[in-house]
Amino acid sequence: MEPILTLESIHTFIGQFHILEGVSITVPRDKITVLLGRNGAGKTTTLKSILGLTPPRLGKVVFDGMEVQGKRAYDIANFGIGYVPEHRAVFRNLSVMENLKIAEKKRGDLERKSDFIFSLFPDLKRLYKLPGNHLSGGQQQMLAVARALVADNKLLLIDEPSEGLAPILIEQMMVAIRELSKTTTILLVEQNFIMASQLGDFFYIIDDGKTVENGKMMDLVNNADLIKRYLGVSIGKVGGVQ
Amino acid sequence: MIQRFQFKRVLPSLIVVVIILGLGLASYRFMGQESFVRTALSGLTLGALYFMVAAGLTIIFGLMDVLNFAHGAMFMTGAYMGWQFYANPTFLFGILPLALAFVTGLATTSLWLPVVIKWQVPESWTKRINTTLIIVGLALVVVGFQKFDVLGLAETALVPVMHAGNPLAEASPQETLAVFWSRPVLLFLSGLLFAIAAARPGDKSQHVTNAKPTGAWIRVAGLVVVTAASVLLREPASIAVLKMNADIRFFLALIVGTGIGAGLGVLIEISLIRPLYARPFYIVLMTLGLGYVLRETVQLLWDPVAYAMERPPLFSQAGEAENIAAWFTGHNLTIDIVGVTFPSYRLFIIVLGGVMLLGLFLLMRYSRLGMIIRAGVQDRNMVEALGINVKAVFSVVFAIGVGLAALGGIGAAPFVPVQPNMGDVYQLQGFITVVIGGMGSYLGAGVGALLLGMARAFGDFLALKFSLSPAIAEASTVIVMIIVLLVRPAGLLGKKDE
Repeated sequence: MEPILTLESIHTFIGQFHILEGVSITVPRDKITVLLGRNGAGKTTTLKSILGLTPPRLGKVVFDGMEVQGKRAYDIANFGIGYVPEHRAVFRNLSVMENLKIAEKKRGDLERKSDFIFSLFPDLKRLYKLPGNHLSGGQQQMLAVARALVADNKLLLIDEPSEGLAPILIEQMMVAIRELSKTTTILLVEQNFIMASQLGDFFYIIDDGKTVENGKMMDLVNNADLIKRYLGVSIGKVGGVQ
Repeated sequence: MIQRFQFKRVLPSLIVVVIILGLGLASYRFMGQESFVRTALSGLTLGALYFMVAAGLTIIFGLMDVLNFAHGAMFMTGAYMGWQFYANPTFLFGILPLALAFVTGLATTSLWLPVVIKWQVPESWTKRINTTLIIVGLALVVVGFQKFDVLGLAETALVPVMHAGNPLAEASPQETLAVFWSRPVLLFLSGLLFAIAAARPGDKSQHVTNAKPTGAWIRVAGLVVVTAASVLLREPASIAVLKMNADIRFFLALIVGTGIGAGLGVLIEISLIRPLYARPFYIVLMTLGLGYVLRETVQLLWDPVAYAMERPPLFSQAGEAENIAAWFTGHNLTIDIVGVTFPSYRLFIIVLGGVMLLGLFLLMRYSRLGMIIRAGVQDRNMVEALGINVKAVFSVVFAIGVGLAALGGIGAAPFVPVQPNMGDVYQLQGFITVVIGGMGSYLGAGVGALLLGMARAFGDFLALKFSLSPAIAEASTVIVMIIVLLVRPAGLLGKKDE
């Protein structure tokens, strides 16, 4: 089966800074692919380049058999990509309900999906009427993920879902993401290697704006040398919670 | 914005309310009931006018980061359009077919897209083709307006209507259809060329939906019919409007002027502001220049003279109504409000300001557009990433903002002189209002406008009472701004973190 998303050697500039210098990624359908790498390696920029928020200057982005590089971000999103940005960018002025409602791509999306969303994140039901800025960090992160589920998206781009979450919430987030992966494809950026290694089917390592390694997550977990070289996590720590 | 009920959040507004109540009580004791009520009502009227300008400014700035220095000129344009429609709409109905023909041409853009994308245009030609299309298009506009008596049309509103049977008997410089018909055709062609340019030949990055363009065809066909009708009905329509009940004509003028303002807003956003989003400073210069262009154009059409727009009969029957209820039957010029004689039209302005605030509140709070605007004020990229065309929302918001300014202009027209620079003072006060209320907050604009209106009215009263220089009264609004900014640098309802 053809992959849902392929990046062919994309180059992205932000201002005059050459952030991505050749990122090539293949995301197979119905699996979780994880982007790994140090801070500032270009993982977030890769996600933004796929969506056209920071359009790549060179290279191809093929989503679902269609070249999308250079198209406007809203067009690309409407082809069926859901985005969960880092730092839980929920809309503070909007209630939880409105935060979900605004993500509708078709009329009635939210009504159709609300049961599924509440089954993943039961807390949101209780908080439904509250404004976004009344939510705790963890609740905001749940909301940010839930927002990407309202429309029927074929691919979810999730950026650092565990960032700043308490261990118990990381647990809940992992359960939710695993549940999601049954119905949709996920491209995940994650610094927490324990979470990444337990969720991912495939991995890519980005270093200095280039994809340097990729393969099955199983193989990476057993390759202590690679982990140490690119991720700065020594294998001794794997297994403990950060 | 509405949903925050934490005490800390409401505290500044609460303090403001307490201070205002205190000041109000003190001035009530000091001034006596009559002057106090009179001054307070004047303050409300001014506040309503400031709000009409500030509301558009603040939502445009909040979402788009655009400081619109042409807002006062748009307020003025609205006043002129409303006045023209009310006094004699021959000018508007004479221009309408040309504008409609051009818009019809432009509306074909989405139909051209699938055609244009198939053209094999060499990259080096892309720019040249667009430039050529636009130059030829502009040339067609110039040819279309060749020997068109715009000034004669503009003057029709100055000729008093004498003949009840045919209100246009004294003033009708319209050319006959035999001469006129070629103009809309030329403008339609010009619009077509602009539409092709807007479809950007040679740009392969565009997305063509496979959906059948039936909707676009229907829209264009509808516009063609409307344009043809507007060509044929130029005079009958004017006569029909003039024969209408003057009160209905007045309310129609409010709607028409707002619509013209909104249309102008869309046109300006797409053609002038959109190319400049990457260079915010250029937008400031551009809007400043646009303000001059609008003022000079109006000056060219109607001379740099101040006109007085007649008040509709609803607010101009002789005598004084004993109270507001009595006005509903008498339609008097003035109303007795707890012993103060107050012009009924000014009360209408206050009501109009209140209705606008309520309308904006409902729009922002309960509509999908309002939801998108509130979200976009915080994070435009995220809204775009949800599949929403933020650029299109920008056009709508700019149209709403300019429409509100135009509505304010028409509302003001019957009691301030209609002249090319009538908007300038309101623009200045509008900016101060926006700063006081907090950039981007329309509720803040409401509170700020009220505060400023009162400051100005009571400042005037004090200046008169102690025979101070009127400059003190004018400075009062700035003094309020300084105090507010010292206490809350982001404005009363502004956000701290932005």
